[in-house]
Amino acid sequence: MSRLLAEALAVAAKDLRTEFRTRVALNALGLFALTVLAAVSYTVGPYRISAGDRPFLLAVLLWIVVFFAALAGLDRSFVKEEESHTAPLLRLAASPTAVWLGKLGFNLILIYLLMAILVPLYCILMGYTIQLIGGFVLILVFGGYALAVITTIIAAIIARALTRGALFSVLSLPLLLPLLIFLIQGTAGAADGTVETVTNTLRAVLSMGGIMTIVSAMLFPVVWTD
Amino acid sequence: MKLMRVSEALKWVLLVWLAVVIVAAFFYVRPAEGFIGESSRIVFFHVPMAWIAVLAFLVSCITSVMYLRRRDPKDDIRASVSAGLGLLFAVLATTTGAVFARIMWNAYWNWDPRQTSITILLLIYAAYLALRGAIDDPERRASLSAVYAILAFVTVPFLVFVVPRIYWSLHPDTIINTRGSNEFDSRYTQVLMASLVGFTGLYVWLYTIGCRIESVRQRRRQEVL
Repeated sequence: MSRLLAEALAVAAKDLRTEFRTRVALNALGLFALTVLAAVSYTVGPYRISAGDRPFLLAVLLWIVVFFAALAGLDRSFVKEEESHTAPLLRLAASPTAVWLGKLGFNLILIYLLMAILVPLYCILMGYTIQLIGGFVLILVFGGYALAVITTIIAAIIARALTRGALFSVLSLPLLLPLLIFLIQGTAGAADGTVETVTNTLRAVLSMGGIMTIVSAMLFPVVWTD
Repeated sequence: MKLMRVSEALKWVLLVWLAVVIVAAFFYVRPAEGFIGESSRIVFFHVPMAWIAVLAFLVSCITSVMYLRRRDPKDDIRASVSAGLGLLFAVLATTTGAVFARIMWNAYWNWDPRQTSITILLLIYAAYLALRGAIDDPERRASLSAVYAILAFVTVPFLVFVVPRIYWSLHPDTIINTRGSNEFDSRYTQVLMASLVGFTGLYVWLYTIGCRIESVRQRRRQEVL
C-alpha cells in the first residue's frame, strides 16, 4: 500500500516537473479560461443580466468556462506519454493503479489551480455574489474531483486512439453532462441561498464521483496495458 | 435444420404480430383522456422505441463486460451491433417524442429532463461509434470501446433516475391515465404490452442478423489479409 502511494506520488511529481518545463497543459487550461472569461465579461458584464436571473445564468457561464477549459488541457497527461513514446517505460516502472492515481493527482492539481485563479476572478468581474460560501467551496471541491476522475480515464482511452484532439471532448461530454447539470443547479442554489439544493447537489456529485472512481480504478489496467 | 425452421416460422409470427399491433393501435384503442386529439396513440410506438434504445444499451454493456472477461471477438461484435441498433432506436424515440411534444406542449423541443436524457443517450452512442472508428487495431478497439461502454453505462442511472427526480418534468408518467375507466385501461395496456413484445422481437431479429453479417465481414477481412 505504501509502495503504491510512493509510486503514485513519483508519477505525479514527474508529471508536474515535466509540465512546469513546457507548460503545455497549464497554458491550454489557463489561457483558454482567461480568454473566455474576458469575452464573457466584456459581452455580458456585471449588469446585463436582471437580478432575478443572476444566480442561475452566472452559474451556467461559470461552469461552461470551467468545463471547456478542462477539456482543452486535461488530456495532456496521457497524450504526452504516447507522443513522446515514454508510455512503455512508464508501464515497466510503475503498476497500472499507481499510474492512474498519479495522473489523477496531477489532473486534480491542474483543475484546482485553475479554479483557484478563475473562480475569484469570475466572481469579481461578473459581480457574482454567493450567499452560502461554504457550500459553494464544497461544490467546487467535489465538482472538480468528479471532473478530474472522468477526464482522467477518458484521456487514458483517447491517448491510445488515432484522432486524439477531437475525440477527447466527444467522449467526455456525454459523461460530463449530468455532472454539469448538477453543478449548475447547485451553484445557483449556493448563490441565492437555498440550502436544500446545495445538499442535494453535493449528494449527487459525491455519489457520481465515488462511482466513477471505483469503475475507473477497475477498468484502468485494461486501458493501460492492452 | 430444425432450428432454422423454427426461426423461419418465428419471422412470420413477428410479421403478423406487428401488423396486428399497428392496426390495434389505431382502431382498437380509444384516444386517452387529457391528451389533445389522437396524440396518445403515438405512445404505442414511442415507448417501445425508448425501451429498445435502453435495452440495446444494456446488451451492449453486458457483452462489453463479457468481452473483457473472456476476450472472445464475438462479444465485441455483439456489443457493436447492439450499439448501432440502439442509436437507430434512440433516434426513433427522440423523433416520436418530439412529434408528441409539438402537439401537447406546442414545441418540438424544450429541454425537458426526459428529452435531455435521451439526447445524452444519443450522444453516448455516437461517441461510442466514433471511438470505434478511431482505433485501427481490432483488439485494442474491442477493449477500449468496451471500457467506454461500461463507463457510459454508469452515468445512465444518474440521467434516468436522478436528474428527472431533482428537476421538474413535463413528461407523462410511464403509464398515463391511471384513473380512466377499467375497460379503457385494459385495452390500452394490452396493446402497449403487445407492442413492447413485438418490437423487442424485431430488435432480437435485427440483432442476430447484424451479428451474422459482421462476423462474415470479419472472416472475409481475415481471408483477404
